[in-house]
Amino acid sequence: MLIVISCLIFFITALALVILKIYLPDARYAWLVAVGGAILALVSVFIWLAQTPFGISLPAWQPQTLFINPISFRADGLSWPYAVSISALVLAIMLTAVSRPVFVNSYTWAGTLALGGLGLLAVTADNPLTLLLVWAALDITELVTQLRSVDGPANNEKVVIAFSTRALGSGLLLWANIIGISTGSAFNFVSISPQSGLYLIAAAGLRLGVLPLHLPYSADSNLRRGFGTSLRFISAASSLVLLAHVPSESLSSSFTPVLMALAIIAATYGGWMWLRAPDELNGRPFWVIGIAALSVISALSGDSIGAVAWGCALILTGGALFLSSVQHPWINRAMLVGVFSLSTLPFSLTAGAWLNPLSFFAPFVIAAQALLTAGFVRHALRPSGRDSLESQPGWTHTIYPSGIILMIVMQVLLGLIGWDGAIKVGAWVHALLASLLTVGLVWATPRFRILNPVRAHWVTPSSARFGSIYEFFWGIYQNFGRLSQAIIATLEGDGGIMWTLLFLILFISLLTQGAP
Amino acid sequence: MSAPVIWILIPLVAGALILFFVPERLSAIVGGAVATVLALVAMIFPIDTALLISTLSIKISASVQVFGRNFSLNTADGTLLVIIYGLAALWFFGTQASGIANRFVSLGLIIVALLTASIAVEPFLYAALLIEMAAMLVIPLLVPQYQKPGRGVIRFIIYQTLAMPFILFAGWMLTGVEASPGDIGLTTQAGAMLGMGFAFLLGIFPLYNWIPMLGKEASPYVTGFLLWALPTFTVIFALGFLDRYTWIRTSPQLSGAIQLAGVIMVASAGLFAATQKHIGRIMGYAAIAETGLLILAMGLRSAEIVNVTFLLLIPRGLELAVWALGLSVIKREAFSLQFSEIRGLARKYPVAVIAIILAHLSMTGFPLLAGFPPRLAIWQELASQSLVTSFWVFLGLLGLLVSAFRTLAVFVMAEEKTAWSWNESWIQAGMLTIGVIGLFILGLVPQVMQPFLSKLPALFEHLSQ
Repeated sequence: MLIVISCLIFFITALALVILKIYLPDARYAWLVAVGGAILALVSVFIWLAQTPFGISLPAWQPQTLFINPISFRADGLSWPYAVSISALVLAIMLTAVSRPVFVNSYTWAGTLALGGLGLLAVTADNPLTLLLVWAALDITELVTQLRSVDGPANNEKVVIAFSTRALGSGLLLWANIIGISTGSAFNFVSISPQSGLYLIAAAGLRLGVLPLHLPYSADSNLRRGFGTSLRFISAASSLVLLAHVPSESLSSSFTPVLMALAIIAATYGGWMWLRAPDELNGRPFWVIGIAALSVISALSGDSIGAVAWGCALILTGGALFLSSVQHPWINRAMLVGVFSLSTLPFSLTAGAWLNPLSFFAPFVIAAQALLTAGFVRHALRPSGRDSLESQPGWTHTIYPSGIILMIVMQVLLGLIGWDGAIKVGAWVHALLASLLTVGLVWATPRFRILNPVRAHWVTPSSARFGSIYEFFWGIYQNFGRLSQAIIATLEGDGGIMWTLLFLILFISLLTQGAP
Repeated sequence: MSAPVIWILIPLVAGALILFFVPERLSAIVGGAVATVLALVAMIFPIDTALLISTLSIKISASVQVFGRNFSLNTADGTLLVIIYGLAALWFFGTQASGIANRFVSLGLIIVALLTASIAVEPFLYAALLIEMAAMLVIPLLVPQYQKPGRGVIRFIIYQTLAMPFILFAGWMLTGVEASPGDIGLTTQAGAMLGMGFAFLLGIFPLYNWIPMLGKEASPYVTGFLLWALPTFTVIFALGFLDRYTWIRTSPQLSGAIQLAGVIMVASAGLFAATQKHIGRIMGYAAIAETGLLILAMGLRSAEIVNVTFLLLIPRGLELAVWALGLSVIKREAFSLQFSEIRGLARKYPVAVIAIILAHLSMTGFPLLAGFPPRLAIWQELASQSLVTSFWVFLGLLGLLVSAFRTLAVFVMAEEKTAWSWNESWIQAGMLTIGVIGLFILGLVPQVMQPFLSKLPALFEHLSQ
């Protein structure tokens, strides 16, 4: 029931904001309503801790002989960190909204709160059916929002491609379901068949843009801070949560090293592009890919806690950085707490990562982690190109930093309390090496030209090398199209009736031969 | 009054009256109202059961004799009539928004009445004749006055006509099979004849090529109606065969053949749809894939055949209605439904485009939408029987999904600085919105169909055992 209460708080607040927007567009207390709802939701998620684990199921679909698994949600040690991260992100977005140039009630506030509710439903989904439904809701929401915000044929096409890849990821989850049923398992997260495991990772990887490496998000969207951040991160969290449910028995497959290699390529590529991105917003898609890839690597190494830890790091450290739109030296330094959170050092947020050995892949993972952390340092300390609070009322000078501080506090808090990955010493040797490499990269960035930021218009969704791979698949599709058109033209042409009758006779003769 | 008079004769007469006496602007409302009333009567008054209202006792008798043939609708048929006339009402109300002439409503009512007669007639083999009559009545709808029929229309009527002798001949042979069930040769021949008949009726690969051709050359709304009505009743007719003849039901060869036919339809239609550049043809391929799923459901070696089949049939009516109505709105602007003509129309006709895309996604089995629960039920049954079959079905639906993405991409690729506007009429937007809401409701709470589904197995007693 507590899950429903938290989600309802988000949805009801969103509804209230929409009603206010329609009937009282000048109401000055709309922001208070939004912040109040977000605070209540965050508090309610903390109350979950008193009862965890617990769950709730909706009435089962009928006929029950066909629909075995009901729509159900569960709060446990793996879903709670995500839930609290999402709730904190939504509250931080509302608190930092005071720094935006146009500070009035808009549909984006309601959208952010509704996304928060959907995000909670996604991370607490207790079986693949529930997750599929919430994914679909998130995908449709993102599609509509993006299509409303972009302009021009190319950008619109990018939005549809992003939607397509996420839908294909959902398709993979469905296929994993089919595999599970064929092996006799009742496909819920408790009894997933080992044969389905890698499909689950591939599904999450495809939705995140990690497996195979692609950029599912349009970098040209107008939705930058605020709603854009919630859309990116909640969507990512909803996919990452699946990694926590992958059974370790499924990782003994011969495909695991291949997936591991692909994930490391994605992490390194994401880290490299993130480090060299001209600013944090242009680099955000690479941040998501890079950290998500680290989460996938954790899952592939059989470390579900590590996968959750990286997912929370993506939201909390990334959230602090991307919501920070005002130049404030004190906040910039405070954000460096995020470096600790990303370091995997003892008692940090990610201390639970890399608990299982990475063997041959370890050096590459360390390099990818260091690139991402160094990029974070560079963007956190970047002095230029930010707004100012000068033109805003005095009270906003206090409120705005509290949003950023909230995200930083949550990082520290999650490292210490409340879930299975808290208070861990972890793989400290790995963490030390990654930290040393990070320091080296931070030192080298201004000194070596190759590490210097690239210009904004050079940050393209895919490099030529990856483009050629996709062109290869496009070529296969076009050849298949020509073949199918030839068949269709034959069947629909002048001799089509004769061809169809011939096929039919062949079909029947084959079948009757098979009969006893 | 008897049930066949209410649900066969009255719509027949109403259709004729609408054609001659009702003005065009009112025909949709009148036709829709007639269908709604018939659905409500079926829902409220049980057939062949006395209903006491105060001191008034009402009983609708089950059967009537016409020219020595018996038309019978039993208590169990009531639910089926609610579904049929309920969905028909949806189609007729949508006619006004689609902007097609009143011939559609009048002939549509007559077609539905004839098809209802096909499930009521005994001996049931006469159903083939009634289905043929209904198919012939579709022709005036498909071909505009004073125009030559297109190639698709001609193929449609050829294939539907070829089906009739095969089914009648199979029926004659089946009486022989019943008399001497040990005669394997006769059984095989009867099975093959029956298979040929249904292959023509349902448009099994490669006999479905008229469907995409119609999607291109005929009105989308009429094509959609045809693709809903004929396969729906043919499937019910086929379920009757399966229920009646034990050897058809229990033959593993026949069950395998039915599954194979279904899988080939789903896979081929999906893969062909993925390469199409005409959204009318894409709707045709989606309908073929859906029919393939219905055939696949009938071939399941499971006691859930009836449940799965009707779980597919109910959303199918809504999906096709929404899709066809959306295409009709778009066709008024674009004339041709080629990708090159519809580019960027999402900004001019947002409601129609949303409806088309959601109906399309629903037919691919996209979660949250009406088509998802029935497909999930099919996976549930199919995956435990054959993973290879499941893979091909999955591939076919993936092909349909790819065609949905391509359609969406074309619709939204408007030139820069194109403003969003709303060019649908209020009635079009209203009908499409109601349809879209229906898609979401059936996708999220499919148990709303349960009151109907729970009673349907009584229609096919042997299949549900």
